[in-house]
Amino acid sequence: MKRSKSFMGIAVALTAAALLAPVAPAAAQNVRIGYAIARTGPWAPGAQVTQEPNYIMWAEQVNAAGGLNVGGKKRKIELIGYDDRSNMETVVRSYEKLMSSDKVDLILPPWGTGANFAIMSLAKKYHYPMLSCTATGRKLVDAKNPYFFALLQQPDVMMDALAEYMVARKVKTAAVIHVDELFGLEQFTSLKSSMAKKGIKILEAKSYPLGIKDLSPVLKDMQAKKPDAFIGLTYPPGTFLSTGQAKAIGFNAKIFYLAVGTAFPIYRDKMGAATVEGVMGLGTWNPKTGAAAKAYFDAHVKRWKKEPDRWASAFCYAGLEILQDAVEKVGLDRKKIRDYIANTTHQTIIGPMRFKGSENVSTPGVVSQWQSGEFEVVWPPQRATSAALFPKPDWK
Amino acid sequence: MSRSTLTRMRGVPRALTLTVVAGALLAVLPWLLSDFMLSLALSCLMFAALAVSWSMFCGPTHYLSLATSAFFGLGAYVTAWGLESMPYGLTVLAGGLVGAAFAALIGVAVLHLRGAYFAVITFGLTELVLHSITYVEKTMFETAGRIISDAPENAVIYWTVLGITVLAVATAILVRASRLGFALAGIGGDEERAQTLGVNARRAKVLAFSLSAFFPGALGAAMAVRWTYIEPMSVFNPFIGFQTVLIAMVGGAQTLLGPIVSSVFFSLLTEFLRLRFPYAFLLVLGILLVVLVLYLPGGLASLFVRRARPHA
Amino acid sequence: MGFWLELAASGLITGGIYAVVAIGLNLQYGLMRIMNISHGEFLMLGAYLTWLAHTTLKINPIVLLPGVAVTLFLVGMVVYRLCFRRISRSAPTVEVIEARSLLVGFGLMFFVQNAVYLAWGADLRGYSFMAEPVDIAGARFMANRLLVFGVAVAASLGLLAVLRWTMIGKAVRAMMQSPTGAQLVGIDTSTLHPVVFGAGLALAGVAGGLLSMVYEISPSMGEPYTVTALIVITLGGLGSAIGSLLGGFLLGLVEAFGMHFTNPSLKMVLSYGVLVAVLIARPKGLFAR
Repeated sequence: MKRSKSFMGIAVALTAAALLAPVAPAAAQNVRIGYAIARTGPWAPGAQVTQEPNYIMWAEQVNAAGGLNVGGKKRKIELIGYDDRSNMETVVRSYEKLMSSDKVDLILPPWGTGANFAIMSLAKKYHYPMLSCTATGRKLVDAKNPYFFALLQQPDVMMDALAEYMVARKVKTAAVIHVDELFGLEQFTSLKSSMAKKGIKILEAKSYPLGIKDLSPVLKDMQAKKPDAFIGLTYPPGTFLSTGQAKAIGFNAKIFYLAVGTAFPIYRDKMGAATVEGVMGLGTWNPKTGAAAKAYFDAHVKRWKKEPDRWASAFCYAGLEILQDAVEKVGLDRKKIRDYIANTTHQTIIGPMRFKGSENVSTPGVVSQWQSGEFEVVWPPQRATSAALFPKPDWK
Repeated sequence: MSRSTLTRMRGVPRALTLTVVAGALLAVLPWLLSDFMLSLALSCLMFAALAVSWSMFCGPTHYLSLATSAFFGLGAYVTAWGLESMPYGLTVLAGGLVGAAFAALIGVAVLHLRGAYFAVITFGLTELVLHSITYVEKTMFETAGRIISDAPENAVIYWTVLGITVLAVATAILVRASRLGFALAGIGGDEERAQTLGVNARRAKVLAFSLSAFFPGALGAAMAVRWTYIEPMSVFNPFIGFQTVLIAMVGGAQTLLGPIVSSVFFSLLTEFLRLRFPYAFLLVLGILLVVLVLYLPGGLASLFVRRARPHA
Repeated sequence: MGFWLELAASGLITGGIYAVVAIGLNLQYGLMRIMNISHGEFLMLGAYLTWLAHTTLKINPIVLLPGVAVTLFLVGMVVYRLCFRRISRSAPTVEVIEARSLLVGFGLMFFVQNAVYLAWGADLRGYSFMAEPVDIAGARFMANRLLVFGVAVAASLGLLAVLRWTMIGKAVRAMMQSPTGAQLVGIDTSTLHPVVFGAGLALAGVAGGLLSMVYEISPSMGEPYTVTALIVITLGGLGSAIGSLLGGFLLGLVEAFGMHFTNPSLKMVLSYGVLVAVLIARPKGLFAR
């Protein structure tokens, strides 16, 4: 009895001691950059498609070139990445560790709007700039946190672009589904005002919860109303599901638009390139939008044996470019880095980027469309890599 | 039930004193620890309170409740809705009361179910509340989540959670020694027999279930402020309930100390593994869990509590 | 009229998908009271095996299903030997088996999910198979969903037939009714248990393989399916093969008609509402014996 009691005590003490010991800097000269991201749990697919591969690839690229140039001296990057288990409390605790115990030089953001929200106040408290590439929503921008920068286009910007495209094609009516989540609601609110401004009538709007396994009853109702456009403000499961089921019932509007996940290469691979021909969605770039984007695409394919997604992936990489540039200009003083990020027009793989408050005000709203296996940018005309297919061809 | 009422009562003042002293000692941690270590302590306390309150009802009666997430989430939503008009302390109290009230309500309806059916219906009720709140928020307020702007200091959150934990442990000690505790143990042993001996089983169960739900409700209200953005999916996360069950059972839900030790053990172990094996920690945790259940069937409590009963 | 039939058909098809997810778990729980909470993880493993073999070897995934079943059957035997045999043998009461197997299930869930993540990453995966519309009496359905529906019905009826008319089925049913009684009349539980557990995982694997033809897959896909399975089998009555088929259909129909008459946002509220209402009215499910 006594023995097992002391055994327990020792075990607990050892665990505590191991935890107490902060992560020892491998070499004092390294620039230590920390983050927590989902490797397991429901956030993991998004995080591992769009975000973490870019962090790792960027650090390898910088190190291969000798390291980060800090005040004229090249220093290697050391990434400290934890699994946040798709759990909000773990996200907060991990960043508390990175900022208060490990005292890393810089942080990279976690995945998703909620997790970014959760650590915003920590970032402000400890003065860590956050360049967030998978968080969108007016609420984030309205928080007016000086250390927070949202790279992705905000919902109103994206929906205005869609409305402009629809007007250019003389589209008069639309049917809309959206997911019951912050993202879906914000996109839908923006869509309603964009459509109202342009005089496009929303014939029917329905929302659905995450985890739905059958949307065909809703799609059939909408098919009967014969809208010019079908707009799904969806998350990946809904994106895949509504594509398959619309095809099954032969619901083919002139514009068929879906939101998150459309830009994923797996969308094309799972549904078939022929099936997704003409489907539109949230995107911003592809290998044809510029030489830098092409180089990024090739490097990603080479490193990970998979293509990056055509929306947020490049924004993640752009955020890393901005961070790198800031460090090489002003060193590792995080307040100076913040000021530099806030007050400079940055050159990135998706073009110039400037922030007003937390918002990226340079990247315009974009409409993309799958054409022969590539997610072509089709709107606005000055950014287009291909002419839009209109009306959408029949399902194949 | 080998010990008599008297011996049980005899230990109570001592146990209560110990609890309060331990609470007072733990109250100094905010001045000693970094933010991270404090939040780790916070996590230990949170799970200790969750597991102790879960065991309060489920330990003696052998019910397997998965409704902890529902109480926790309701508490969190009390904070999300009320923090603008109420002080933090009051939202925590209100969160606890809402949790208890909800438990009383569902207790009346579902406590006649047993075994896996009870587990599944409590899970179903949790999801029902989650999706109802999502729906109400969406249709009435056109929002999917809420932002908490004025979060209290970490130390304040810590003391609040510590207070709830001390209260939960004290309540558990008192319940075990009370008539209610005996009624619950009787129900766990043989409900019909207990009833013939004059136990009002239904009333005892609803009362204890409701009492045990006060703590997760209060904890939800207390913890919500840490996440700035409150949405149903994260505060009604079923894993809060699963983890509670796991910790309580591995500790030994029939004992008082088992769940407490187990929550400290698991919180530290999980965090240690997560930080040291950032890619494979669940692999290690999974194996450890299986081994623990197979080779320590009496729970962690069997390591240090004499005569721990064999039920896991 | 055609519209309503179509709506009902689409509900039944989704219900068939729910049923196929639940069969394996129902078998394990019904016979041995093993509450295998890692059911969805083994389903996910089946989905990954099918995806992997199909995308690398270009084999028709239907042809792969028996292979997946055999693989998971063997995995199940091993898992039973390593994890559950000790519990079944040492636990004093059925309640204790339920509780301990639940904990072991959590451990397996962590283990399998993490192993799949290490092997193939957390990305979404998928392939296109039988993604062609089929016309049936004027209504159009996706061929792969019809396939899943067909297999769900066939597997449930098949299981029912095996339980009713074969020797092993009789032994299993005897075990379900009275484990000690079955041993007394000479039923060899030490072979029967691992076989039934393996069969449970094999069915989970087949369900996963079928789902991979319809939906996208990821290492975290399992948990929602475990939940679906638990709901379907409690709704139908634990251990009742026909119950879980009908339970699945009921859920699918409630969703389809519910979505039409109210709106899809209420889908989750409706399905859980039905579950709660049924269990309150019938504490042992719809088809409990």
